[in-house]
Amino acid sequence: MNRTVYVCCGTGCLANNSLDVYRELKRLIEEHEVDADVKTIVKATGCNGLCEKGPLVKIEPDNICYSKVKASDVKEIVEKTLINGQIVNRLLIFDTAQGKKVISHKDTDFYKSQQKIALRNIGEIDPANIDDYIERGGYEALSKVLFQMTPEGVISEIEKSGLRGRGGGGFPTGRKWRQCCNVNYFPKYVICNGDEGDPGAFMDRSILEGDPNTVIEGMIICAYSIKSHRGFIYIRDEYSLALKNMDCALRQARERGYLGKNIMNSGFDFDIEIVRGGGAFVCGESTALMQSIEGNVGEPRAKYIHSVEKGLWGQPTVLNNVETWANVPEIIMKGSDWFSSIGTENSKGTKVFSLVGKVKNTGLVEIPMGTTLRELVFKIGGGIIGDKKFKAVQSGGPSGGCIPESLMDLPVDFDTLKNIGSMMGSGGMIVMDERTCMVDVARYYLNFLSEESCGKCVACREGIKRMLEILTDICNGKGSEEDLDLLESLCHTVEEASLCGLGKTAPNPVLTTLKYFKDEYYAHIRDKRCPAGVCPELTEYEIDEKLCISCGLCAKNCPASAIWGEKGKPYYINTESCVKCGNCLDSCKFNAVGVKKGARL
Amino acid sequence: MKITIDGIFCEAEKGEMLLQIARRNNIYIPTLCHSDALPGLGTCRLCVVEILDRGRKGVVASCIYPVKNEIEVFTHSDKIKSIRRNLLMLLYARTPQDETIDSLRKEYHVPDNIRFSGDKDEHCILCGLCVRACQELGTSAISTVNRGITKKVSTPYDEPSTQCIGCGSCAYLCPTNAIKIEEINGVRTIWNKEFRLVRCTRCGKPFATKEQLEYNRKKLGEDHVELLCESCKKAVTGEKLRDIYERV
Repeated sequence: MNRTVYVCCGTGCLANNSLDVYRELKRLIEEHEVDADVKTIVKATGCNGLCEKGPLVKIEPDNICYSKVKASDVKEIVEKTLINGQIVNRLLIFDTAQGKKVISHKDTDFYKSQQKIALRNIGEIDPANIDDYIERGGYEALSKVLFQMTPEGVISEIEKSGLRGRGGGGFPTGRKWRQCCNVNYFPKYVICNGDEGDPGAFMDRSILEGDPNTVIEGMIICAYSIKSHRGFIYIRDEYSLALKNMDCALRQARERGYLGKNIMNSGFDFDIEIVRGGGAFVCGESTALMQSIEGNVGEPRAKYIHSVEKGLWGQPTVLNNVETWANVPEIIMKGSDWFSSIGTENSKGTKVFSLVGKVKNTGLVEIPMGTTLRELVFKIGGGIIGDKKFKAVQSGGPSGGCIPESLMDLPVDFDTLKNIGSMMGSGGMIVMDERTCMVDVARYYLNFLSEESCGKCVACREGIKRMLEILTDICNGKGSEEDLDLLESLCHTVEEASLCGLGKTAPNPVLTTLKYFKDEYYAHIRDKRCPAGVCPELTEYEIDEKLCISCGLCAKNCPASAIWGEKGKPYYINTESCVKCGNCLDSCKFNAVGVKKGARL
Repeated sequence: MKITIDGIFCEAEKGEMLLQIARRNNIYIPTLCHSDALPGLGTCRLCVVEILDRGRKGVVASCIYPVKNEIEVFTHSDKIKSIRRNLLMLLYARTPQDETIDSLRKEYHVPDNIRFSGDKDEHCILCGLCVRACQELGTSAISTVNRGITKKVSTPYDEPSTQCIGCGSCAYLCPTNAIKIEEINGVRTIWNKEFRLVRCTRCGKPFATKEQLEYNRKKLGEDHVELLCESCKKAVTGEKLRDIYERV
């Protein structure tokens, strides 16, 4: 029997030198000729999700997972585990929930609650090798579709599954395909939207990097059902590894006859080309993306006429997001009944979330729709770093809303998130703790959107600009209470009058913070105080004499040398030279440093 | 089919733009980025109206909204008025000295003491009509540059354009006269480029740039076009017609 060592080479792990680990493993295994009877193969895989603990090294079938592996650890792994069958204890993952180290990653709370459909192969295969994909059932769905199903059968299967677009809008995928199928002019196009631009979201990247073939297979299946012969995968240029792996996968698929003329000798033709995005966030909007493919400036158009009728070059076009495509082959193989048995009434299946921010287990998780936010943040995410107080979770990218503690028991699905003023978006989940200022958060996102709005329509361009102006003033202590009414009024105008989805959702961070965290706005305006101690103009730190043990850690971490003190006496902060970075507050282990209460100005 | 706009029954063709139907029926909807000569842009958003389509309410830009069903349209509901007021406040903040915007602002009772301030010399509202006109009538010499709040209209790298034929279509269509076009001593200056004007062979008035006439000649494929200014062209045609009638 073979033994396989999987080295995670997702972006997070690569940044932590997992490639060195991979090379070292290969070198040492060859050198030691590990176990003549057991052949050991080393594989570089896509992202395993638990980026926080990377680089991860998994050994199968032993079911061992090592975390934070460095090239210098490899010798020990080879000698102890691969040759002698012992476990290297110090490299095991420490599961915070159980309070102990676990041998297999599958035993951690992070993985236990997950159900992988879109991510099913990632971490288990070498994305640069199509045989790995085929070995795990890849292209079987395509074969089933081409030889056993009619285009109509494919569409109704996807319809019945209840799959909804994973890119943000949540439009029923099957209905989209059917509408396009019903339009009777040709050629038709199939597009994969891989222009993932939300800050903190990396699920599409992970799929493109770790399992490119599933996206290709999903697209071919759709092409067959709507009789399209040409497809495009739009990937942002910053995703160099995704571009490389996708290019490699397309080449291999073509060589094996899964793409190109006469696919699998079925008589059906379809080919895909990669288009590289130029870095505009707005090009993730479907109509802007199509403009970009056509070679025009990436500006959205109104969707009064849908892309399924007039899309790319004015032709009927189906555009879906990477994660949506990744779900398709699995639905075909396991059936719509299986898929629709997972999730909630109107949101079927699973959703991949990138869990980031002030949470212990940052990374990529795939959970059934309907899982509560609390479970996501506190069980899978392991709670807040440093056990600080949870404040909010921001879902759905820059145009999503901030969800407070009181709504944490709501199930995560398309409609629930929309009802509370946020959205699913592409699935970014940014966790914020008590050290986050919600006014500053709204300001941050609007600043992002003001730069990334295409600037085509007045409502979005000028509206966001002026809302940002108000928020900046509030953060600087120059806001007034009338500003809040104006802000809200502008929010509604931008929401109603903007041309595309970017503008229509841009006010969400402002509206939700105004709704759920209005006291913080009042603190900034009335008391001229930032309760979280973030806005520099409205923050002053102080050291509690009773709690300070004069360890000097705050002074050591202060970049402005603004903290003074001596052994045995409490330290003090010189407000004049303080730069309000908050290092002192974050570094104090005895909660002696705090944000000064009471009005400042 | 029939739709109602502000309670008035209007005859409409499927696919026809809402604004067009309203204008035909003398129903006023304010616009800035609209020109009858060009396809709708939907950028100024002033033409937004509320619609009731099979029980569902929505706000749409009437200049680019093709009528598909027998809908009810409201051009001046409270919601629409409030949206237009805010849009005009935003435009007024951007172009505080512009006359067109100022008169619209007064029409919608937006106070002149607003919270925001803008550049006194700014007149451009970035509606994109000039860019579209250049694309359709000229040579795509100008385009929008950058995005978001730094967006502007310009020639490539702000250099005098090698493509520009100085036809002035952009300036002619601009709703706020934001594009500077100057004619001094038979020289037209636009987009930092100077064009010598050709004189009308009949009245001697300088009327068009050499590049523009050359471009039109190529486009129309006519070799011997008489170089006449707009008013002389009219006069000559009139004379010809008179001759014909007199002979008859």
